[in-house]
Amino acid sequence: MIQLKNIEKYYSSKGIKHYVLRHVTTTIKQGEFVSIMGPSGAGKSTLLNILGMLEEPTYGNYEFMDEDVTNLNERKRIELYRNHIGFVFQAYHLIDEMTVYENIEAPLLYKKIGSSERKSRIADLLDRFNIVAKKDLFPNQLSGGQQQLVGIARALAAQPSIILADEPTGNLQSAQAEEIMQLFQKLNKEEGITIIQVTHSEKNAEYGNRILHIADGVVKDDVAVRDSVKI
Amino acid sequence: MFKLNLKIAWRNLWKNKVYAAINIGGLALGLTAFVLMLLYINHEESYDTWSTDLKNVYQIRERHDFFTPDNKEHWNEISNSRIANLIRSKLPQAVAVTKVDNDWGFSNGFSLKVDNADPVIISKIKDSDSSFFKVFPYQFLQGSADKALENKETIVLKESLAMQLFGTTKVLGKTIKIVRWRSDKGTALTITGIVADPKFPQSVSFNAITRTGNKDKDPENPTNNNYCLVYTKLNKSSDTAVLNQTLQKLYVDFKKNLLNGQKKSYNDIYKDGKSPGLKVIPIETVHSNPPYTSGWFDKLKPVMAISAFLLLVSVINFINLATAQSVQRAKEVGVKKVLGSYKRQLTWQFLIESAMQSVISLFLCIILIEVVLPAFNNHFKVDLSFWHNAQLFVMISQLFGLFVFVTLLAGFYPAWILSNFNPVSVLKGNYENGLKGIALRNVLVIFQFIISVTFIISIGVMEMQSRYMNNKDLGFERGNLINIKTNYEDDFAERLKKIPGVEYVATTTQIMGNAFNVPEEVKYKGNAINLNTVTVTMDALPALGVKVMQGRIFSKEYKQDTVNTVVLNEAAANLFGKNLIGQTYGKVDWEGKTNIFQIVGIIKNYHNEGFDKAVLPTVYKVTSLGGTSNTNNLLVRFNTSKYKELISKIENEWKILYPDFPMEYTSMDDEFSKSLEENNRFMNMIILFSIVSVSLSLLGLFALSTFVAKRRTKEIAVRKVLGASNIQIVNLLNKSFLTLVIAANLISWPIAYIIVKKWLDGFAYRIDMPVFPFIAATLISVIIAILTVSIQARKAAVTDPVNALKYE
Repeated sequence: MIQLKNIEKYYSSKGIKHYVLRHVTTTIKQGEFVSIMGPSGAGKSTLLNILGMLEEPTYGNYEFMDEDVTNLNERKRIELYRNHIGFVFQAYHLIDEMTVYENIEAPLLYKKIGSSERKSRIADLLDRFNIVAKKDLFPNQLSGGQQQLVGIARALAAQPSIILADEPTGNLQSAQAEEIMQLFQKLNKEEGITIIQVTHSEKNAEYGNRILHIADGVVKDDVAVRDSVKI
Repeated sequence: MFKLNLKIAWRNLWKNKVYAAINIGGLALGLTAFVLMLLYINHEESYDTWSTDLKNVYQIRERHDFFTPDNKEHWNEISNSRIANLIRSKLPQAVAVTKVDNDWGFSNGFSLKVDNADPVIISKIKDSDSSFFKVFPYQFLQGSADKALENKETIVLKESLAMQLFGTTKVLGKTIKIVRWRSDKGTALTITGIVADPKFPQSVSFNAITRTGNKDKDPENPTNNNYCLVYTKLNKSSDTAVLNQTLQKLYVDFKKNLLNGQKKSYNDIYKDGKSPGLKVIPIETVHSNPPYTSGWFDKLKPVMAISAFLLLVSVINFINLATAQSVQRAKEVGVKKVLGSYKRQLTWQFLIESAMQSVISLFLCIILIEVVLPAFNNHFKVDLSFWHNAQLFVMISQLFGLFVFVTLLAGFYPAWILSNFNPVSVLKGNYENGLKGIALRNVLVIFQFIISVTFIISIGVMEMQSRYMNNKDLGFERGNLINIKTNYEDDFAERLKKIPGVEYVATTTQIMGNAFNVPEEVKYKGNAINLNTVTVTMDALPALGVKVMQGRIFSKEYKQDTVNTVVLNEAAANLFGKNLIGQTYGKVDWEGKTNIFQIVGIIKNYHNEGFDKAVLPTVYKVTSLGGTSNTNNLLVRFNTSKYKELISKIENEWKILYPDFPMEYTSMDDEFSKSLEENNRFMNMIILFSIVSVSLSLLGLFALSTFVAKRRTKEIAVRKVLGASNIQIVNLLNKSFLTLVIAANLISWPIAYIIVKKWLDGFAYRIDMPVFPFIAATLISVIIAILTVSIQARKAAVTDPVNALKYE
């Protein structure tokens, strides 16, 4: 599904290159649940941004679904956002002026999905995540965990093939975090959605089936998670 | 999505109520001023557009110096009545030519008497000839254009007047007695037509057109001239340039002939840069080209500039607040971008938000206009209306254009900034990106304050000038002096003199409110001097209370005063030279005889007109030697405080002598206020606009400082933790804004200086450029800016730093 070849990212200031990523080459297959780990400033988020086409690599090649997306124009990129990629953020990033319902609806509107289909999909998501009662509330009326649930529901609404999550539980208490991670695992297992998450926590990383360890912009380690750790 | 976007927009406005109110209210104010201006311009432009047949109608303008305010040559609306005949006989293109009375402004109108009803004064009753309705395509409700003025002693009424007098328009064949002036015997006129009131204003406005027969013929004696308005209808719309060349040739021949009859030489008259001239101008341009003053468009230019600036100030508020607020919207943009929204869609979303606010402003503006229009009409002596406007459709399309313009102007930049946010940085929580455009925002704040400070300076200077004018010595005593609009008649004057309290009864051809300039050329020690002549009675100068500089003024004790003595004003004396008392000068009269006049006194200049005009060099004489002129001024000076009682006594005497004509009078105090009126009106408007502009700028500054304080919450918190006091924090925030306000002040000084200087130059009597308003404006703007910002800064300063730092 994803192929990175020799991805490099650097910023140059005063003639000196500051590398954020170096020689990142990896392949992520459909249905994988990958956790990117590493210390602060290692380049995890940059890698996720590049995967999400929010940033362009300075050098290297990136293929998404067998298509070269290294330098993509806005129209095509947005097509991918609408149909294939869902984002989940550490700070949830729900739109404050929209209700829960409307937040989940937004991507469907961009995707130009008919009104009845929209309604049934949202109803389904609200139901699945147990937030039907909260649908008319605004984000600031929810707890962090609930907000992240809405964030995930929103990411799922467009039925993407991949979810990119940047520290999805970073702002949550451990009980809530666990709930979210279990949800991810379920989505990955039952619906075959590819998930790539950036995380600090060893524990969260182990919900996935593969861990990329990054340090100083270089992939140090690429390990499969033993099944036994999973629940 | 559209619906959802509208919802978001609405929720955003609601969330930032104060900010939204400032934005929308400010914009509504700016729009109101602008739309009022538009209404006024539309009204002025609609003059003489009430019929398509008017495109072939032209006004004749003759170049001469008769009855001009400065005794110099101008292209006048009033022409020698003989010109009508000249055009009729010599210009084949002319289908019809008509002569109409000019609005001389000597009286408020004529007295009309229907049957046995009390006489009423009706203005704008104009005498014309049989061709009037052949030139002007009025729509006849009763009678017909061909027949109406066929016979003499007929009158055609406007529908509105017919309704006022009779309550119906079915009045053909009835007679009206018209008394033109106090001693007029009156003429009975038969109503032969009723015309509809046109929807748009007319430069030849009338309530009734009469044909008494006076306009049918020209004076037989070539030295006598009648002046009136002349209009012609041509067979097709013509090239005026070509036509005017033909007219010019005809006119030169005509003038040579006429001067020949007057035993004058053409070459003598037209020397020293004087030249004869005759031209036509299309009727729809008449209103915008008055003969002596600048047209309404030129007069309106400063006001237009002001209202445009006002709109600009409110638009700037809009832009400033929207970009400042963009920080709050950054996340939304970032999220939407990763959810699959095009940049274009986001731009549209924010433009629609601006549009929404513009629409609300526009509605508010329409309500505001309805509220202020009566006051506006009253103030500017117009009759504008928004809904009952013949040009409603034009108006609505203009409003729509304005709406689009304002939306784009106010919304485009913020929309562009917002939709350009980089999702990576805003989603990381790095909102500093939202501070882009801070330079632009500063420039806009400076710009706003330049406008406001310039306004404040202007008010200061204008206030000082108008105080100067209010208190300036007019050269005569304006208190306890009234002017009855009638000529001097011994019988009436003697009766008035017997009333206790009446000090003087006199007449003069020139007085404030009736500046009747009569030019003449005199010879003094071989030099030709051009003067303005005023004919007075013996008592006139003492009645006015003029101040004698040298010599004496007229008095009954000197028999010579009724023979050949004159009094000069200072301006005239300066032209003559020094040691004038007892000197003589000569003047050639129309028969070629030289009359000798002796100068017996010099008086201080006194004002007949507003302070924008210099007092003309004037000679005053009692004698009829060398020709006299006559106007309707009867001055009554009294020395009693029982003003009302006195007036009613005068009116009683009037009624005994002249029962058919109501008495009209003005007090000199009123006339003086009238001369200042236009200036005061302009000043009031500037003051109003300044207040609005300054408050808009301050509101903008207030809202902007709120956002800046919010934005710098973290910085403030950190500084406090490091030990900064509240005062230091307030100063910190003040400093950035104060720099802007001071910069604006420095820039606006020269701008205000140039503008105010130009305004002052329009007055012949003016103050020196004062420094005080400049300093005051700077102090005021700085102080209120500090106060405004401090309120917000204090709020930010006193908050507990823990709250700000906790959420990082």
